[in-house]
Amino acid sequence: MLLLKLAFRNIFRQRRRSLLTALSMAGGYILCSFSFSLSEGSYSNAISFFTLDHTGHVQIHMEDYLQRPKIHKTIDDPERISEILDARENIASHTLRVFAPAIAYSDTDNTPTQLIGVDLERERTTSTLEQKVSSGTYISSGLDSDGYYSAMIGAGIANSLNIGMGDELILISQGADGSVANDIYIVGGIVGNRNSLDKSTVFLPLQAAQEFLSMTGRVHEVSILLEDENDSRAEAISLQAELPELSVDPWQEVELTVYRSMQADKQGNVISLGIIIFIVFVGVLNTVLMSVLERTREFGVLKAIGSRPTKIALMISLETGLLASMSMFAGLLVSFPLIGWFTLYGFELAEPMDVGGIVMSHITGELSLYVLGTPLLLIILFALLISIPTGIRAARISPTQAMRSN
Amino acid sequence: MQTLKLAFRNLFRNIRRTILTVMLIGLSLAALIAVDGIMRGMITLMVENVTSTISGEAQIHRVGFRENFDVDIYLENSDEIEQTLRQDSSLDSYTTRVMSGAMISSSYNVSAGLLYGVDAQRERTISKLEQALVRGEYLSGTESELLMGHTMAELLEVGLGDRIVLTLSEAGTGELAQALYRISGIVDFGMRELDDNFVFVNISAARKTLGMTDLQTHEFVLKFHDPADAENPETELFQTLNDEETEALGWLDLNREIGLIIQLTEFSSLIVGAILFLLASLGVINSMFMSIYERIYEFGVIKAIGTRPAAISNLILFEALLIALISCALGSALGYLIGLYTSNYGIGVGDMEFSGIAFDNNIFSEFHVSQFTQFPVYVILLTILAAIYPARFAARIVPSDALQRSL
Amino acid sequence: MTSAKTFLRNRLSLHLTTSRLICTLLFSSLFSNLAFGAERAIEIIDEMEALYQGASSSATMTMIVETPQYERTMEMEASSIGTEKSFIRILSPRKDRGIATLKLDMEMWNFLPKINRVIKVPPSMMMGSWMGSDFTNDDLVKQTTLTEEYSLTLEETDEHFTIILVPKEETVTVWGKIDYIVNKEYMVPVAQNFYDDNGEIIRKLEFSELKDFSGRMVPSRLEMIPMNKEGHKTIVIYDKLEFDPPDVDESVFTLRNLRSRF
Repeated sequence: MLLLKLAFRNIFRQRRRSLLTALSMAGGYILCSFSFSLSEGSYSNAISFFTLDHTGHVQIHMEDYLQRPKIHKTIDDPERISEILDARENIASHTLRVFAPAIAYSDTDNTPTQLIGVDLERERTTSTLEQKVSSGTYISSGLDSDGYYSAMIGAGIANSLNIGMGDELILISQGADGSVANDIYIVGGIVGNRNSLDKSTVFLPLQAAQEFLSMTGRVHEVSILLEDENDSRAEAISLQAELPELSVDPWQEVELTVYRSMQADKQGNVISLGIIIFIVFVGVLNTVLMSVLERTREFGVLKAIGSRPTKIALMISLETGLLASMSMFAGLLVSFPLIGWFTLYGFELAEPMDVGGIVMSHITGELSLYVLGTPLLLIILFALLISIPTGIRAARISPTQAMRSN
Repeated sequence: MQTLKLAFRNLFRNIRRTILTVMLIGLSLAALIAVDGIMRGMITLMVENVTSTISGEAQIHRVGFRENFDVDIYLENSDEIEQTLRQDSSLDSYTTRVMSGAMISSSYNVSAGLLYGVDAQRERTISKLEQALVRGEYLSGTESELLMGHTMAELLEVGLGDRIVLTLSEAGTGELAQALYRISGIVDFGMRELDDNFVFVNISAARKTLGMTDLQTHEFVLKFHDPADAENPETELFQTLNDEETEALGWLDLNREIGLIIQLTEFSSLIVGAILFLLASLGVINSMFMSIYERIYEFGVIKAIGTRPAAISNLILFEALLIALISCALGSALGYLIGLYTSNYGIGVGDMEFSGIAFDNNIFSEFHVSQFTQFPVYVILLTILAAIYPARFAARIVPSDALQRSL
Repeated sequence: MTSAKTFLRNRLSLHLTTSRLICTLLFSSLFSNLAFGAERAIEIIDEMEALYQGASSSATMTMIVETPQYERTMEMEASSIGTEKSFIRILSPRKDRGIATLKLDMEMWNFLPKINRVIKVPPSMMMGSWMGSDFTNDDLVKQTTLTEEYSLTLEETDEHFTIILVPKEETVTVWGKIDYIVNKEYMVPVAQNFYDDNGEIIRKLEFSELKDFSGRMVPSRLEMIPMNKEGHKTIVIYDKLEFDPPDVDESVFTLRNLRSRF
């Protein structure tokens, strides 16, 4: 108890020295937590991009549709699946999709396209399709007054075929039963711009696409958004057990190449973070060491008047620990709002980046226990670690030697 | 002069502290050099992945070609362009290509894909096609040769020597054209986009199938002696080539997203560097103060006998300068050594099961002049700046207070 | 990589074809390949082709496509003049009724009544199967001038002639070898076998059920069986077949006729 009081007093006695030490620790902490936040944030951002864009966190297909898509590999009982998914707590939402290559015709031109039939209602909450509509409207799923279904087309199609809102779009493809699929749709909206990933896609209401391809009641893909994206793998495994006849994959499998390159990137990042932490440690080492060493004379006197070496060593460690804790607290006070702002608003980019139709205008970070907590623990632990041998050494010195030193 | 000598001697009074301070500053500098080198290496890696696999550092097309890669939009005046290219000294090499979508059939299956007609010899200096070869032989100019991506070869159930029939529309006329090729090699880029969809043939054979003449080309791919030329839209070559019909663009213009990623990386290194140095400055201040406290009795004495405050302040500043110089020397040396190691051996990016030609997995850190000129200058400036506060404090010592200090 | 990726999104992976392949394949095989010795074989094929050049025909047939996923039955009527002109119209099932195809030389058009449009078939769509069947266009997109593009040899047994066709060096085809097996007694085809370069049989076209059509004995049932795809088969059955019918003239093979309601 006495020791604690002494430790506290010592800290405040030498204000300048304590302040500098505290600043270096707090500053180091802020740097580390910011770096972590930036690094985690950029990965989360990248992941959110395509998972929210169209991949979702988990996908369900029939057999190996993902590796070798063929029109006949269909999920034949989507309503049962939807029931199961709606009942699960971890699942935020899901949507159903149908795919087929097709050729789009206008009066004079034709162009190859990918047809995607989507459950328009569910798609709203599971992907960013609605936000990508750049002109016209997010179509409705029913027939219009003339008995036609509406379609949303990519900007590339609108450009190649020279068609726009209200114009007729003809699609020709091959049905699941081998017949020639052909029908007319009315353009209700345009998606993205000429550089988007979707530029050659035609979106139809699910039912329209199913009729077109002679596969009513069947779908190719179920895409699922979870409440917490980190559960992707776990949820996929759990769902797979419940749906043994289908293929359930987490986004890491669906977007394998992207995932792998992100992992590679992460490795490179770890090295940079490591270096930063190292430097912060050196700074802490420097200040802690110096703070202790410059008081050698003081400790000499203490010893001379009878203090036990153990007590001295303990006091040194206590001081360092207390100082470190207070610094971390101060650092947290600064980091928390800073990183909070960074996560919510972020830095504005010089030029907004268009990633497949979604415009990314800011770099944002991530606020989490990992980001705030890890550097905190690391610095306190390290400071304590440093203080132990230093303290022991200081405590062992003979009083006469101590008082002679500078 | 005297002050300098004095400052120098003062450093040795407390070796331990001096060493600690030098270590702090020196390591920070070394760290900054190392991280900068790694960042540069990462960017180069990324750029190389984009450019050297197949896309090259710059490309020339007919205006409008890149919209839909329409086989009908080709350059008519290849000979003129080649002449311009040959005369340009900033170019290391170039190559020509024709390309078209095609249906690719084997005896067993049919698949849609992309036909690339390439100049086999020139292609060697521009892309990694030859390195991607895993079976068979590289293109040697024989007409019926064809290289196919390995996953496509699996789909079509073919191997070396098997027949391939390409069906496509002739450029310009749209007439049906078919040609027989034989698989002479299988390639594995390690990228599904390439392995699933591409076939490569000699450009002369492709032109024949497409009904194109020697003067007609879809694409020129360029490589510069200095990669910076490719990134600069003002480069003379681009100015010469660009007109209403012809479009010459560097890879940065062709892949805007990479440019942004580079900006982001540079931006974050800037922030990290700034904060790092701020921390180092704190250490410097701490160290300076401690050295002043130790000698506070002395300072009291010399002030009492008449030394000007400015002289004391200068002394401190000189000490800081010397420390900074020593630290920079050591830090630069250490940074250089680390850089030497990492630039030769590289930093492996973990266990990659899918390492392929397209993904060179080692980051080789890079040296750059600024690392050894700009950074040390910043360090010196910052150290001196940090020393100003302690220096002023020392200058303002009241002799009577100082002389009373015992402990 | 942007250029490659973008290009890839323009891939054509449509297996839509059109017509006439069946006609030419079927009709030509009925008359061809009565060979006695390589030279004689060439002579006779030439004779048959010449004979066939002048001929016109009209037919009604049923096509059954079997795959592991479905079985589809279609009924259609067809007319042709020589190997250059053919016209096919689908009669059933109801949703495909009225779909028609016109082929003139190397050009093809489809008429799709549901959208009331005539679509010209781009060359790149010529590959792939017709109506999901096992007949590909690779056989018929070009005129098969067998005698010019292939080397012929003749083998003989008591019951059958077998003409072996090997493509010449420059011939553009995916087949390494084709066998025509002809029944000596009736002088009608029995089978055509298609091989890859290694001599493995990749698909078979079998002819059976001889019937009398307007005085000629002709196999009324054709079965195309791919050997490398389990469970796939296409069967064509001739219900009616007329030679030199009076109502088949040039006006049938026009775009106007293609569009007309029937």
